[in-house]
Amino acid sequence: MPPTVLIVDDHAGFRGFTRRLLEADGYTVVGEADDARSALAAAEALLPELVLVDVMLPDADGFAVAERLATIADGPVVVLTSSREAADFGARLAVSPARGFIHKDQLSGAALSEVTRDQP
Amino acid sequence: MSGRLLLALSVAGAAITGTAAALVLFAHGFQPYPPAASLAQVATDGIWITAGLIAWRCRPGNRVGPLMTALGVVDLARQLYWDSGLAFAVAQIVTSFSIPIAVHLFLAFPSGRLATRFDRAYVASVYTAALLLAPVGQLVDDPRGPVCPRCPDNPLLVEGLRAAAAPLQTAVAAVLATVLLVTTGLLVRRVRRASGPARRTLAPVLISSAVAVGLLLAVGVMSATGRRVEESPVLLIADAAFAAIPVAFLLGLLSTRLHRSAVADLVVELGTMPGPAVLRDAVARTLRDPSLRLAFWLPEGERYVDADGYPVEVRAGTGRAVTVLDHDDERLAALIHDASLLQEPGLVRAVGAAASLALENARLQAELRAQLDEVRASRTRIIEAGYAERRRLERDLHDGAQQRLLGVRLALRLARSRLGGATEVDELLAEADAEVVDALDELRALARGIHPAILAEGLQAALAAIARRSPVPVQLNVCGDRLSGPVEATVYFVAAEALANIAKHAHATYARIDITRADGWLRVAVSDDGVGGADPDGAGLRGLRDRVEALDGRLRVETPPPGGTRITAAIPCA
Repeated sequence: MPPTVLIVDDHAGFRGFTRRLLEADGYTVVGEADDARSALAAAEALLPELVLVDVMLPDADGFAVAERLATIADGPVVVLTSSREAADFGARLAVSPARGFIHKDQLSGAALSEVTRDQP
Repeated sequence: MSGRLLLALSVAGAAITGTAAALVLFAHGFQPYPPAASLAQVATDGIWITAGLIAWRCRPGNRVGPLMTALGVVDLARQLYWDSGLAFAVAQIVTSFSIPIAVHLFLAFPSGRLATRFDRAYVASVYTAALLLAPVGQLVDDPRGPVCPRCPDNPLLVEGLRAAAAPLQTAVAAVLATVLLVTTGLLVRRVRRASGPARRTLAPVLISSAVAVGLLLAVGVMSATGRRVEESPVLLIADAAFAAIPVAFLLGLLSTRLHRSAVADLVVELGTMPGPAVLRDAVARTLRDPSLRLAFWLPEGERYVDADGYPVEVRAGTGRAVTVLDHDDERLAALIHDASLLQEPGLVRAVGAAASLALENARLQAELRAQLDEVRASRTRIIEAGYAERRRLERDLHDGAQQRLLGVRLALRLARSRLGGATEVDELLAEADAEVVDALDELRALARGIHPAILAEGLQAALAAIARRSPVPVQLNVCGDRLSGPVEATVYFVAAEALANIAKHAHATYARIDITRADGWLRVAVSDDGVGGADPDGAGLRGLRDRVEALDGRLRVETPPPGGTRITAAIPCA
């Protein structure tokens, strides 16, 4: 069964499309957040199994959110997304505790389960 | 100088001399020379002291006066054959300093300053020699001998060292001979190099000194050959010659009031319209003030700058004075000079007038340099601002248009899945999606051309990214230092454009990027093993050249001997 998802993105329109797209693919979207602060609050309140985080947020970047979430015991799996390409982030993706990265152009339920498939 | 002051100084000198004369007469009982000879020497010292005091008063900032006075006072100590052994020994030590003071005086005349580093070191070493040898001499010297049977006992005498007396005397004689020779040599050199008027200033001093020293040497020879010299007229003539020296010093010093010919020399020298730095040296030489500074007035900025256009604070300080030079009621420059020059305002004004044309010229040069610095600074600010603006544009494209287009793609995908493969509408949506994909690609290329986002991760990561995208294998050789944003962006664009050219035209199998940093320059070289023949005036390379030159850098395109193309950019980076 697909995991529960929290969507973090400062574009309301994009959040809406993502929610509908993931729900169409069978995911349960438990919440949305538009910045890093409310994302961390929502993650603690809603206990999603997966958090999809936009790299560019108004108050902090997605890498910082991933690092904060990684400190929660038994915390959610984090997947980063961006309108930029993975190569633009150099080595930062490799050292981030985030499980994976999906370009916004490739975003779909299938891509998400592909990235999170080998989760223990 | 007022007649009253002159009288006062003369009285002061006479009082000192008179006291000394009284002491000499009082001490007549145990001093070796007849009173007439001693009194003649006391009178000579009195002339030194009086002339020194007058010189001191007329040229307060000039050391010649104090040195003349000191020489008279120190020599006076020799004439006093004290009853007390200790006072006698101390007087002997003090008297020894007449040698370094005399050397200092002769070499510093008439400016009061020692002109060269060698002169300063030499005078310092003569002072040091006196400081070391005089007290040591008193440890071995027994004044009571055949010359002065009634001299007091020397309380400093160490009996055990008596044997050292003869060798020490030989050493002291050798030092004295050396000092005499070196000083004479330095003075001869000065006379040979001096201009006409400087020679005229030096001549009376040197001639009277030469006569005095020559007569003294003659007296020495006579004494050595066993003849009695105490009553000889030669000694009196020598005294007269010695008495003439301070008068010559004083006259020479006062005659330097206006170096007319030095100003004339300056006019000739400035005929060539020298730059600000040379002009400063010439003015410093004419005013005989090596520490002189020249500050040029910038009417626009209402401030002073130096020869290089940097701001200068113009104000008088300890021993420093400021003279502002005008021309046609316009401020030209300011001289920051030795305060002693204030004694000769006529000279400073004459120099200012002589130099006004060259000063105006030099002032314009300094102004130009200052403006150039401002233009450079403003260009740097423009480049920084442009760089920041490009970064903002790139971010806006990503956050705005691109984000929305990506949303549209998601919506299209949702719509198509909802439709469940209905043919005609689905086809339309697929076409719309393809259009959006193209738009996204163009937008991405545009954004990257405006500013490569990867530069946020450093130049090395950014170059690694373009190397990965290059169809020709690229070897990267990059130093890891972080540089300023504009420099990193420029290096990135040089490498990206060069690699794009290589991929398009070079038919190369291999390319390399070398980035080195040395001597304040960053050098980036992109080379390949292709067919060469790149056109340096093509649009792409010319655009690169403009980018590089905007940072004061240079771009070179060449075909090295083994073939291929090498593009080198050198950019200054502090």
